[in-house]
Amino acid sequence: MNMILFLKEIRRNAASLIIWTVVITLLIGLTMSFYGTFMQNQSKIAGMLTIIPKGALQFKGVSNFNDLLSVLGFYSSNNVIYMMVLGSIFSIVLSSNILLKEEYDKTAEYLFTRPITRSEIFLSKLAVVFINVFLLNFFTALAGFICIEVVKKQPFSIRAFLILSVYTLLLNILFGAAGLFLSTIVKRAKPITTICIGLVLIFYFIGSLSKITEAAARIGYISPFRFADVNAIDPSYSLNIWNLVYFVGLSFLLTWFSYRIYKRKDIYT
Amino acid sequence: MSEPIIEITDLSKFYGKARGIEHIDLRINEGEIFGFIGPNGAGKSTTIRILMNMIFPTSGSASIMGMDVIMETKKIKKLVGYIPSDANAYSSMDVNEFLSYCIRFYEVQDGEKRISELTEMFELDRNRKITDLSLGNRKKVSIVQSLLHRPRLLILDEPTTGLDPLMQSVFFELIRLENKNGMTIFFSSHILGEVQMLCKRVAIIKEGKIIQLEDIDNLRKKQLKKVTVEFPDKVSSESFKIPGFEELIYAPGNLVTFMYSGNINELIAFLAGRKIINLMIEEPLLDEIFLHYYQN
Repeated sequence: MNMILFLKEIRRNAASLIIWTVVITLLIGLTMSFYGTFMQNQSKIAGMLTIIPKGALQFKGVSNFNDLLSVLGFYSSNNVIYMMVLGSIFSIVLSSNILLKEEYDKTAEYLFTRPITRSEIFLSKLAVVFINVFLLNFFTALAGFICIEVVKKQPFSIRAFLILSVYTLLLNILFGAAGLFLSTIVKRAKPITTICIGLVLIFYFIGSLSKITEAAARIGYISPFRFADVNAIDPSYSLNIWNLVYFVGLSFLLTWFSYRIYKRKDIYT
Repeated sequence: MSEPIIEITDLSKFYGKARGIEHIDLRINEGEIFGFIGPNGAGKSTTIRILMNMIFPTSGSASIMGMDVIMETKKIKKLVGYIPSDANAYSSMDVNEFLSYCIRFYEVQDGEKRISELTEMFELDRNRKITDLSLGNRKKVSIVQSLLHRPRLLILDEPTTGLDPLMQSVFFELIRLENKNGMTIFFSSHILGEVQMLCKRVAIIKEGKIIQLEDIDNLRKKQLKKVTVEFPDKVSSESFKIPGFEELIYAPGNLVTFMYSGNINELIAFLAGRKIINLMIEEPLLDEIFLHYYQN
């Protein structure tokens, strides 16, 4: 790893990290501020929910109304879209740009003519992606934890909260690795941001769709969201070993292939 | 014979089916100012990008100071400076930040002094954002960054694009000075005039192949001028049979354009005896030189 490049990239991405962290934190805070009102009007809301099709609720990750009464259930069903989807978009946009940006901004001609190897470039930028994703997850999870502590009416499982946060982090890292991989296989130097955001949203849609019916369950396995278990109020909720192997293994493989391709890639400007 | 500082052997690069360069062989000696000239798309940048390990050759090999450009690229780049043809730098940085960032990659003892020295020479405002600079000033930044670590070899890819004539002469003076101090210069350009002015030897590349490698003095002997004369009346090109008349390019009515390689005084004397409306003597385009020498 090259510290000069690493520190430059950290500085370059700092503003983006701060903006994304603040936006997600505000969204979490806003959502959690409704919990008190929700609890006061639970009978009315329960009535309203009966007219919403079950499939639509399951699409949003709510299997039954009682899930929402628990603060952790309310948090996970309402904030998953922010922390998992927005977090994944942040990761994939960051990672897909971090190598490719040097090419389409034509700065690669300066970077590649410095005494630095391709491995050092790759590892320095990989470290920046990982640290950014980790910091985004850390601060948004911390904000979520504080919000839960403020609005809770009864105790909640910190262990379950941590597992949910780990799943979010693993999902974000996987999309980070996917972005890196996509950026190394494109031939021409142009941004792939739109494709990357589209990819996250499609996978989110597939993952959510698969929760509605048994028939659609199989298709869900092509989506990483299917493996990020958000059912935090289930008493048996835990970090499933196979899900862990899936996230770590796939992230590692995508990163490894990205590294191998980047080492031999023609850099165009 | 001195050890070549750049040695290129049977180097080819194809982009899919499209030709980049084909079977290039080149040896550049230490201490030379070597010109690499050809029209756009001839393969100059492809060759340079292989040397800088930005792209990989399809076949063949290249070495700098005896080191393979792929296997030992890090060692090579400590000793090489490079000015790219496109002068884009990190737009969020100011000049000072960018140069300080660049110099940190090298072990330069008097880095701050060196940055000051070069920015003053090129009259660069170190506090300006790179994105706010004109093309010429961005080019100056590019020149300065390439010289910060006092490289043993300087590779220039169209270095004068965007530079005003005054700065071009400062730049050429600096190149000559650095060369006197031992720096080897690999100068790629499509402008014959500046290559002729600086270089001792030149390789001419066309459609991915080196078609001529010769001393600049030999090239000078073949120096061509493109002459356009406008007459008040229609003239016959037959009447231009004077020593040095090489080739008629264009003669619609009363306008005659031809290549001339003779004594310019003889041409002026010849024209002085005729009534003319306009006379233009210019450097021919490289393509025209190629057409003249190598196709005919």
